[in-house]
Amino acid sequence: MALRELSSLEKYLGLKKPNKYSTQGEKKVPVLQKANAPPLVGLVTVACHLAKEAKRPELLGDSAESRALVQQWLEYRVTKLDGCTREDAKTVLKDLNLYLQDKVYMAGNQFTLADTFMFYGIHPLIVDFAVQEKEQYVNVTRWFDHIQHYPGIRHPLPPVVVLRNKIYSSKHY
Amino acid sequence: MTKEEAPGATEEEQQAQSKKGLKKQQKEAEKAAKKAEKQAKLAADQQSTEEDDFAKDRYGVSAMVQSQHKLDRVLVRVQDLTPAKADQLIWLRARVHTSRAKGKQCFLVLRQQQFNLQALVAVGDRASKQMVKFAANITKESIVDVEAFVRTVEQKIESCSQQDVELHIERIFVVSQAEPRLPLQLEDAARPDGEGEEEGRATVNQDTKLDNRVIDLRTTTSQAIFRLQSGVCQLFRDTLTEKGFVEIQTPKIISAASEGGANVFTVSYFKTSAYLAQSPQLYKQMCICGDFDKVFCVGPVFRAEDSNTHRHLTEFVGLDIEMSFNYHYHEVIDSITDTMVQIFKGLRDNFQTEIQTVNKQFPSEPFKFLEPTLRLEYTEAVAMLHEAGVEMGDEEDLSTPNEKLLGRLVKEKYDTDFYVLDKYPLAVRPFYTMPDPNNPKYSNSYDMFMRGEEILSGAQRVHDAQLLTDRAKHHQIDLEKIKAYIDSFRYGAPPHGGGGIGLERVCMLYLGLHNIRQTSMFPRDPKRLTP
Repeated sequence: MALRELSSLEKYLGLKKPNKYSTQGEKKVPVLQKANAPPLVGLVTVACHLAKEAKRPELLGDSAESRALVQQWLEYRVTKLDGCTREDAKTVLKDLNLYLQDKVYMAGNQFTLADTFMFYGIHPLIVDFAVQEKEQYVNVTRWFDHIQHYPGIRHPLPPVVVLRNKIYSSKHY
Repeated sequence: MTKEEAPGATEEEQQAQSKKGLKKQQKEAEKAAKKAEKQAKLAADQQSTEEDDFAKDRYGVSAMVQSQHKLDRVLVRVQDLTPAKADQLIWLRARVHTSRAKGKQCFLVLRQQQFNLQALVAVGDRASKQMVKFAANITKESIVDVEAFVRTVEQKIESCSQQDVELHIERIFVVSQAEPRLPLQLEDAARPDGEGEEEGRATVNQDTKLDNRVIDLRTTTSQAIFRLQSGVCQLFRDTLTEKGFVEIQTPKIISAASEGGANVFTVSYFKTSAYLAQSPQLYKQMCICGDFDKVFCVGPVFRAEDSNTHRHLTEFVGLDIEMSFNYHYHEVIDSITDTMVQIFKGLRDNFQTEIQTVNKQFPSEPFKFLEPTLRLEYTEAVAMLHEAGVEMGDEEDLSTPNEKLLGRLVKEKYDTDFYVLDKYPLAVRPFYTMPDPNNPKYSNSYDMFMRGEEILSGAQRVHDAQLLTDRAKHHQIDLEKIKAYIDSFRYGAPPHGGGGIGLERVCMLYLGLHNIRQTSMFPRDPKRLTP
């Protein structure tokens, strides 16, 4: 999955020549081996490198604060979200829903790598959601819908239908 | 004593031990003395009860009512006790809901069905100390006859249905005594879900309630539910009778399953076996062939489906309709939806108290409907579901989650809790369903939904013996077994259609309840055969 994400990112960044990746260990950690350079190991490390290579440093945050936030969410993605059980996912989504209540993007008002990778990480959960669950995590769903329509991000993942109207409005339902 | 003991503590161990023993003895002696005192008091009490009780004939346990007398006594109903009856001396029969003694007074809450009021026995020139004590000791749920003055109160009694009056009891007799231990407390059974959780109060789970249904039925919520259910039947009958329908009775022991043989109960019938009817389907159709034109039937229906869900019972009450029509089966739909709307209106206008009573324990939004009723075609519904991200085939049957989702989508778009879904795919309907003339993959059949759950399934039936035979063959039904049914249509049969409604489901969904067992008085499901 990590490799697919990196190739999606490359496409988004408009990198002409796709890199070749290998994997390492049981968890299939991606490795990027460039000529005349030490290998880069790990999804987040490689992703940050690609952003710099494409001369898109703003994707890593354009202020000290947002840079910190981006790193925090990238870390959250690989430590909390990856490999979490269905029960854990509920807690994650609940927290995330609260966090996104007053935000457009993960790191505030700017689209960053944090949005990309949280999107890839959450996609498999949301795709299985019933309409009612999507409404339950309404802020996550709003953010998700926005990112999946962000130019060049979603491909090749299937689109998820998100209703604009609340249909489970009553608390007694 | 502590002072005496203080030097002893510095002495030898043995002495200390003997002191301990001494203390123990002392304590025991004290205890014995207390006990003796108590007994003496009790005896004295009893003596005084026997001796100087001036109100002796104003209370007690009355003899078993074996119809010895025809008493010329008017028993007033609790609900009629209003300030208009102030200062009158009346008789009343009610249950003791709660009693609370406080010094020289005893407060009782007397209950009659869903109504209750406060009553008071106070020591004075009419009631003795012993009478108050007797009143306080009457077990909960006992039935009492009470003679009392109706008095208006200054401050409303919030906890009772009769808030403006209370009773000052003159006489009180126990007509039927309840056992002191009840299997469940009425307050607990009537407590809204979640409420009282903070105070650590108990709620009674569904199974316990059903195991002790007789007591559970006494709660105001149950009283309201089944009064409303009776209202549904009444409104159903009244509306249809007005439309020129005839009520019929059909047999429930039948020789062949009407719709697919898998979910019928088999009963042994002398030397052969018979089935319990899954619906009066075949019989109401035969009545149409017998020129009854418009018929309905209220009676038990049996389903041997082993499904333990919130909305399935193995025996329920079916409200069935069948009518002949002139040219288009929408005449039937209009007739049924109008009947449903009349029922909803009747409930809304005449059962507001009951609805609100149930809402107190089980909150729900008021039931909404449109006039005329919204009719959607199956393809439209599938399109709506697709739009909401559901993947399903065009001719696939609706799954329960999709049904519910569709209900929410319809509610959001049209603001109605009641709608008709028309033109079901032919493949998912029984063999006697008339195919759609314009598209053979669909049929002239319909379901009706309340709050996103199916309450009625109906269709135009095939009234042509030849087509019916073909359809039965297509469904691989043994023609021999349904010969009588098919033959009914050989001698001229009018075009007709109809549908069957589940009474319990209508009540459940109208009130926004979540379990059909709540609207069945003595529910039957795969795991419950008693009470």
